[in-house]
Order: sequence, then C-alpha cells, then structure tokens
Amino acid sequence: MIQMNGQLVISAIVLGLSMSGVYFLLTVGLSLCYGLMRMISLDQFFYYALGAYLVYTITAATGSFWLGALGAMLVTLVVAFAVERLIIKRVYSKPVMFSMILTFGVNLMGVGLIKYIWGLTPKPVASPIGGSVNILGTSVPGYRVFVIFLAVVVYLAVQYFLNKTILGTAIRAGIDDAEKVEALGINISRLFTVTFILSSVLSALAGVIHAPFVMVSPEMGMSITAFAFMVVIIGGLGSIKGTMVSALIVGQVVSLGALIWAPLAEMAPFLVMIIILLIKPTGLYGSKLMTR
Amino acid sequence: MKRFLSSWTLIFVVFILLYLMKGILPAAFLTEVVIFSIYAMGCSFLIGCLGLTSFGQPAFLAFGAYGAGVYLYYFGTNSYMAILVGILVSLLLNMLVGTFLVRLSSSYFTLCNQAFCVVTFFMFQKALVKWTFGDNGLLLISRMEPTPVIDLTSPSGIYLFSFIVAILVWLFFNYLMKKSVFGATCLCVKNNEQKLRFLGYKTFNIKWLAFVIANTVAGLAGALYTVYFCMVNANIANVIGAADVVAISMLGGAGTLFGPLVGSFLFIGLKDIVSRFISHWEVLVGFLLIVVMLAGEKGIVGSLEAYLEKRKNKKSQLQPALTKEGGL
Repeated sequence: MIQMNGQLVISAIVLGLSMSGVYFLLTVGLSLCYGLMRMISLDQFFYYALGAYLVYTITAATGSFWLGALGAMLVTLVVAFAVERLIIKRVYSKPVMFSMILTFGVNLMGVGLIKYIWGLTPKPVASPIGGSVNILGTSVPGYRVFVIFLAVVVYLAVQYFLNKTILGTAIRAGIDDAEKVEALGINISRLFTVTFILSSVLSALAGVIHAPFVMVSPEMGMSITAFAFMVVIIGGLGSIKGTMVSALIVGQVVSLGALIWAPLAEMAPFLVMIIILLIKPTGLYGSKLMTR
Repeated sequence: MKRFLSSWTLIFVVFILLYLMKGILPAAFLTEVVIFSIYAMGCSFLIGCLGLTSFGQPAFLAFGAYGAGVYLYYFGTNSYMAILVGILVSLLLNMLVGTFLVRLSSSYFTLCNQAFCVVTFFMFQKALVKWTFGDNGLLLISRMEPTPVIDLTSPSGIYLFSFIVAILVWLFFNYLMKKSVFGATCLCVKNNEQKLRFLGYKTFNIKWLAFVIANTVAGLAGALYTVYFCMVNANIANVIGAADVVAISMLGGAGTLFGPLVGSFLFIGLKDIVSRFISHWEVLVGFLLIVVMLAGEKGIVGSLEAYLEKRKNKKSQLQPALTKEGGL
C-alpha cells in the first residue's frame, strides 16, 4: 500500500512539474509584456488556443507533430505581428486598464473566430513521444519529462536572451527608462514589437505542448486563465524568475492537491495566492509597481 | 442642460418613456435591458468613478442570484423575500471578498478578480454541486407563489417591478455620483490616490465601501434575474460574461449616469439582431470592445456630456466649468 502511495506521489510530482512547464511558458509572455510595456496582454490566451488548434490541424494534415509545432509558432508570429501593428501599438501610452480591456476584446474576438473556423467540438492531439521513463521505480510518460525539459530550456534561453544579448540588454534598459533608451538611438517601438511577438510565440508554444494533455477546445484559453493569473500574481508581475518559481509552486499545488481531494486542484492555488498576497501584496518577486 | 442631465426628473422621464415602449418593443427584451443595466451600473461605477476594472462581475451577479435561488429552492416561496435574501447574501460576501481584493493595486485587482470569478464558477458548477445542481441549476418555477401588490411570477409584474427597482437604483447613484461627498472622494481615488492618502483619508475604506456598494447592486440584479427566469444555473458566473458587462459600461460611457442604460439597450438589441445571423456572438463583443476603446474611452453618453459641456462653455464664456454644484 505504501509502495503504491509512493508511486502515486512520484507520478503526481512529475505531472505537477509538467503542468508547471505549461504554466511557465504561458505566463512568461504576460510577464514580458508587463515588464517592458507595462501592459497586461490578455490576448496571450488567444495565441495559446490558436497554437493548440494549429498544431491539431497541421498534425492531422502532415502527420508530424514537430512540423505542426513549427507551423503553429510561425503562424502565430504573423498573427501577433498583425495584431500588434493594427491595435496594440495604439495603447502603449495609455493606462494599464486601457490595455487590459482592449486585449480582452482581442482575446474574445479570437475565441469567436476559433469557434467559427474549427467549430465547437473538442479535438484530440496524439502525444508525439510514446513510451515511458522509469523514475525511482515509477514509470512516467516520456512526453511529460520532455515538457519539463523544454520548459527549463526556454527559461534558460529567455534569461540568456535578456541578460547576455544586445537586444535583451536594450529591452531591460527600456524597462528602466524608455525615454533614455530612445535618446540613445534605439527604436523602442520596434523593441516593443519584438517583445510582443516573442511573448505571443511562447504562448503559442504553451498551447502546442499542452494540446496532447487535454482536448483542444475553443474555451481552453478561458479555462486556463485563472491558473495563469494565479501564477503571475504569486510570482509578481514582470519578473521572469518569479514566474518560474510560482509556476513550480502552482503546478505542485494543483497536482498534489488533486491527489488529496479532487476539488482542491482548483481551489488550493487560489488559497495560496490569497495567503501570499496578504503577506506580500506585490507577489514573491514583484518590485514596487510602477503606476502610470 | 447640464443641470437637467443629473436631475431626478430626467430619471423618471427616461424610465417612464422606456416603460411605455412596451407597445413597440417586446417586453421580454425591455425587462432584460433594465435588469442588465442595473448590473452594468455597478461595473460602470467601479470603472468610471473608482478606476477599478473588474473582470469578475459575474461572480458578484451569481452571489445575488444564488442567494435568491437557494432561498426559493430550500426555504421559502416568497419572491420578495428571495430578492431581499439575495441582496443580503451578496452584501455579506462582498464585504468579505472586498477586504481581500481592494487592498491590491489596480492591475493586481483585475487579475485577482478574474481568478476569483473562475473559482466561483467552479464552486457553483462542481464543488457545491450537491446543493446547486451545477449546470442544470435550480428550477424554481413550481416553488414560487404569487406575491401581493405586484405579482412577481407574472411577466408584466416582474417588468413593472424591475422598473421600480431601476428607478430607485438610479436615484441612489445620481445622489452618490453627482451630489455626495463620497462620490467626489471616489473620483479623487481614481485620479490621485496618493494625494488623498496624504490629505489624511483612508483610501482603503473608501475603495472598500465603493466596492461593496457596486457589487451589491450587481447582486440585486442577480436576484432579479433569478426571479425573472425562475431558475439559476452555474453559467451565470461564467467568466465570459464579464466581457458583456465591461463592454456595456465602456460603450455607454463608464461613470456616467445613463451610460449603463444606453449601453445595455444598444448592446442587447444588437445581440438579439446579430445572433440571428451569426452563431458566434463573441466576435462582435470583442470587436465592439476594441472599437470603443480605440475611439476614446468616453463612450456614447460620456461623449454627449462632453459635447454639451463644450457648447455651454462656448455660450457663456464668463462661467468657468468648475462652478457646477457638487462634484469636483
């Protein structure tokens, strides 16, 4: 019996870690947008759902999940570029509330379009990696381990990009003082576009890797909203490291909570969030919020 | 003209005219418009006078709706009592929830609010399914008995009753937004919270009270919905519904007195017409939100007020705009 419980706990922890990976990929976009542009981009959830649907369509057409993943990210890149140029670029100078309502509108429109194109029935996506990995005597689906690995790689890549490359340095400088960066001759509006597209592509990637776990449905962006918000709030808006840490916490709380009592899976992260906000109103790693 | 726009006579005139439109437009549509405008009033007040964007309004609507629904299903048969219970339940829950939510800064407030709404939806749909029956909901049609004075179980009764409630709500908000010191302090919170705190006001208390007032009005609308539809199910707390109420507030003009009414009228009318042709209504809601936000955030009534103000100032250059009674 104890052996059995141990195996359950290990597989729950691995499941939690892979959920953390998905949450991290989804919320890193929100964090990047808030960090640089001081806007809360709720349309990331649309790119997430779009990524999942595109991977379904392309996988069904070509038979290759990896081709689907690539195609989904490329298409999302184009869509995000269009949205940014047409709509989002007009609201950078406005208060946060403004961008929230506007991007919520974009998200809603996206959900409607997805329903229009793909219909209401949920679509299945097969897991691209079969087989299982043996961890401490517990066999764990290989795909979950791959997701954890991918999230770690993305975290390292984003950190490397922000800290070590010229573009990343410019972005970090833009977070501190946008006007001075402009005075140095750096085109800040182009930086904004790059950041927005990067965030959107990462959100699409989250949708792509989450697709085999769940059925792809039009409301999937809406149903993950709460978890994504909990992750960004616990970690502190705008902090990549905080996002990673809180994604780990929320993933474990969700999967271990579900092991104890099923409804806890959705309630427990909320309680964690409330407790953390009562202690530190800006989240774990959030700095004092800029108000504009 | 400006004075007339914020007077109680105008409220009566508008609502009586709307009431008489029963002859032209279907009563079901008008009832929905009036109840929805009460609901939107709270949201509009939060956005326009307090600067707090709430994407969690369906949760507060559901508190009132389930307060009334659970009372009718398990305890009593009187619809008046049900509405009263709905208001009380939502008042108590809002006081509790407000304590947690209001201390957050505005972007955190919005995100937490939406997360809270999703959790509430989940609670009504799954966690409390034994008592709320989830998506099937509480069916109350056989539980409601005819009430004295105005029979709330008949369509014409609830139609009249919702108009009376709406007039009361509007008189209350007219006083709150245009005449009272409290409304002025709320505007101060929106414009410069730090300064207000420096002047010695406890901004937490102001925001908390405004939050409780606005969301209890949403709860009242929820209770009316329950009595009107004779049922309540978990879908009332669905977070997608948050878009409708925010769109209505922005369309009509957040923080204006008649914004929610104009917004609801246009929005629900448009929805009824368009959904005959397009099945996925979200596209249009999203599109409307984008257009209203990009066209300037004033909305229809807000733009009209600004226009009248400008014309009045042009006519009498001597009177500065700040001499209007009350307000700031």
